[in-house]
Amino acid sequence: MPYLYNTPQDVQDMLAAIGAESIDELLDMVPDELKLDRPLDLPAAQGEMELEQTVGKLAAENRHAGDTVSFLGGGSYDHFIPAVVDAIGSRGEFYTSYTPYQAEVAQGNLQAMFEYQTMVTRMTGLEVSNSSLYDGGSAAAEAVLMAIATTRRKGRVVVPESLHPEYRQTIATYVECLGVEVVTVPTPTGVVDPDELRSVLDDQAACVLLQHPNFFGALEDTDTVTAATHEAGALLVAVFDPISLGLLKRPGDWNGGAENNSGADIAVAEGQCLGSPMAYGGPYLGIMACREKLVRRMPGRIVGQTTDRRGTPCYTLTLQTREQHIRREKATSNVCSNQGLFALRASVYLSLLGPEGLKETATLCLQKSRYLAERLADMDRFDLAFSAPTFKEFVIRDHQGKVDELVKQSLAAGFFAGVPLGQFYPELDDCLLVCVTEKRTKAEMDAFVDAIDRMAGSAGATGSLKATAT
Amino acid sequence: MKNTRDTKSLFELSKPGRRATRLPVCDVPEHEITDLLPPSVLAERPPALPELSEPQVVRHFVNLSTQNMSVDTHFYPLGSCTMKHNPKRNERTAAMPEFAHLHPYQPEESLQGMLRVLYEMQEFLSEISGLPACSLQPAAGAHGELTALWVAAAYFRDQNSIDQHRKVLVPDSAHGTNPASAAMAGFQVVTVKTLQNGAVDMEDFRSKLDDQIAVFMITNPNTVGIFEPSMREIADEVHALGGLIYLDGANMNAILGVTRAGDFGADMQHYNPHKTFSGPHGGGGPGAGPICVAEHLRPCLPAPVVSKRETPGGEEFYLDFGGEKSLGRVRSFFGNVGVLLRAWSYIRTHGPDGLRKVSEHAVLNANYLLSRVKHFLPVPQGDRCMHEFVATVAPLKSEKGVTAMDLAKRLLDYGFHAPTVYFPMTVKEAFMIEPTETESKETLDAFAEVLFRITEEDPELLHEAPHSTAISRPDEVAAARKPVMCYCGP
Repeated sequence: MPYLYNTPQDVQDMLAAIGAESIDELLDMVPDELKLDRPLDLPAAQGEMELEQTVGKLAAENRHAGDTVSFLGGGSYDHFIPAVVDAIGSRGEFYTSYTPYQAEVAQGNLQAMFEYQTMVTRMTGLEVSNSSLYDGGSAAAEAVLMAIATTRRKGRVVVPESLHPEYRQTIATYVECLGVEVVTVPTPTGVVDPDELRSVLDDQAACVLLQHPNFFGALEDTDTVTAATHEAGALLVAVFDPISLGLLKRPGDWNGGAENNSGADIAVAEGQCLGSPMAYGGPYLGIMACREKLVRRMPGRIVGQTTDRRGTPCYTLTLQTREQHIRREKATSNVCSNQGLFALRASVYLSLLGPEGLKETATLCLQKSRYLAERLADMDRFDLAFSAPTFKEFVIRDHQGKVDELVKQSLAAGFFAGVPLGQFYPELDDCLLVCVTEKRTKAEMDAFVDAIDRMAGSAGATGSLKATAT
Repeated sequence: MKNTRDTKSLFELSKPGRRATRLPVCDVPEHEITDLLPPSVLAERPPALPELSEPQVVRHFVNLSTQNMSVDTHFYPLGSCTMKHNPKRNERTAAMPEFAHLHPYQPEESLQGMLRVLYEMQEFLSEISGLPACSLQPAAGAHGELTALWVAAAYFRDQNSIDQHRKVLVPDSAHGTNPASAAMAGFQVVTVKTLQNGAVDMEDFRSKLDDQIAVFMITNPNTVGIFEPSMREIADEVHALGGLIYLDGANMNAILGVTRAGDFGADMQHYNPHKTFSGPHGGGGPGAGPICVAEHLRPCLPAPVVSKRETPGGEEFYLDFGGEKSLGRVRSFFGNVGVLLRAWSYIRTHGPDGLRKVSEHAVLNANYLLSRVKHFLPVPQGDRCMHEFVATVAPLKSEKGVTAMDLAKRLLDYGFHAPTVYFPMTVKEAFMIEPTETESKETLDAFAEVLFRITEEDPELLHEAPHSTAISRPDEVAAARKPVMCYCGP
């Protein structure tokens, strides 16, 4: 066996010390009638070299963002990952350690998490960050539970349709057993209509979730929505794209921010875009920050600074009395871990980018995405589905209504065209969500437009034809 | 040798104008940003992130890494966490671009290799647990527990008996996540006592069992490392009242190929692939928390799962979003695929015989260490254990004032990570040791000898331990009273 040490002699010596005849005798703690009387029905073991061949064959059945030009987004993004992020993330001292129960031998992890928390507070404009949750969707759901506990409003939570559909589904699961209603506000224009929102807000609404840029890539009226939410006494949970903060106002600054006694109360995000691979959906990084007054309702591990018995500054886990190992069924949450390695990767990524690098990355996403949006909208076949300004994603409507075919043909031509929206929004079954990150080049986008142009029925890729057609 | 300069906080190291990355020049016609976005949404300046050079970033984080103990560097007998060797083979598999750079919304035809791995993983986990239906979606062990309880709730809703089945029974020795998950799922938590040997107190259990039972959450082998002697009776009595048995699979490392949850009466279980199947713990995560359930609960599983269908050319794999009875979705996207890939790789390198050997040697190592430790630290559960055991430092405390924490801290000086201390709460001054199968007899001997030596040391020396680490005994009370949770300087 590859990872065992014990030689036959060791086994004999150890059994003798224990006073047992055999290993089977040790397993007799399991009653005979409950034992499995056959080997597990699993494939026979493969050595490392054989397994590499097996894996190679499976890998060859996948297409990926390295061999196919990707315009896929919707919460998982093909942003560039600098080599340093992988180098640091591959340090065994980081990735083979665990939750820092013994702070003296975990100062590396603890400091890295403290720095991560600091960066998150600076990015969000909120005072406190935890050391991360599972992913964006479950972080949004945990934020909802926080809001319910804080406001003691158990009637409903309000989610616009422009919030990621999978986040909405996750929230629905989290609150179903608690008897809390999820009210969905329609967003036919691609963004929240504040009047529509006000009509569902009452004194039983615990919170409003606002994703900005939203699932369609569009920018919301953050100030008005925040104000309307606070007028109703509900908490505003911001769902943000960390990359967008190179250009956009921080959630904590919405509607005048803390100075105006406003801004988001809780902010959550999917942190995969900060230096982690897409990995078919996980593991990812759930970012969560909140106002200081909410910290004792916050789930997850939090690292704090303190001093040791000699007075040396150091770091340790703190505010643990919120947590399940002490509070059991009265804990703020059942979360007992964090996504340490991915929070570390995010820290390294943000350290490499710095403020200017983040701004440049955001700007490239914005400019390039606008370029492709314009080129596609120039084609007869497409229009932009919504008029609100967008950041790095946008929705195109296929007048032929053949989105699935478009995706299929694009794949054959070497492109992941985007996310068909019909799977989430039946009324948008002729729409495609297209994403452009800083990695995409003009040449790739031009080639994509040309490839679509060559597809049957897509004739008329030029602006002049468009003008006459409409 | 300690480099205190480069391990200053990133914000102290920062200097305006320093850069570590150079982004490509914009190759498309540029617009004024204010032409593209309304001024009301724009920030005056980007967030105040540190400004650093690449060498500085590398040196900072590499130096930080050396301040950690890890499985790669030290014996790490942290009970209930299964800190075993993390094979490098599995890291390489997960890092392959054909897996690492897959987008969750790619067309299924472009993902057949990935979906096949996940389908196989569902099958493997079902076979190992004896529970035929599997969801790979939960993101961590605690998330798997919660998901299983949601499965139970969905099941009772479907049976129109959710108003009756309100109680979740949890032994007092269980992980805190068990009662916390039950409360999050809207159930009423009832604690069941355990005996000194760690077994469920059947008298107490029966006094609390009634027709309101929804789920009995049992950890088996339990947190003191014994196989529950009344497992069958518990399952039978819970089932007779229409309740379900949930197995907390934290301790699966003890029973691979030996016994199966489905065969000893469980209806649901979660796995910790980062424990049992050697996924690295990542300094706190990521893990994963896949669950397996009995056939009658299959329709309630979260969506999607991977299914297979025959095609003229062979077979193809696809995402199955289930029916009305599905509890829905418990997170975004499919699951912690990177962790599952490592676990798949681990299972493939072991096969049925190898997995059984893993458990045999995990149990052998734990019993051997128990046989050595019991001579100087009492082990209330008795002379035998499965994969871990819990000693008590209580006599040493009353005799010399030495606590479990003192021993734990002093072990660090000798280059051993500490066991889990003060858990389970049912054992006073608990000292929970899980050596795992990937340690040698020499290491176990050295650990036992050092631990014995420490129990003989001057109590004063122990109260102030560790002595060899850069810091010693952080003031946790001060940290909690006036929390400083981020760097407050410029």
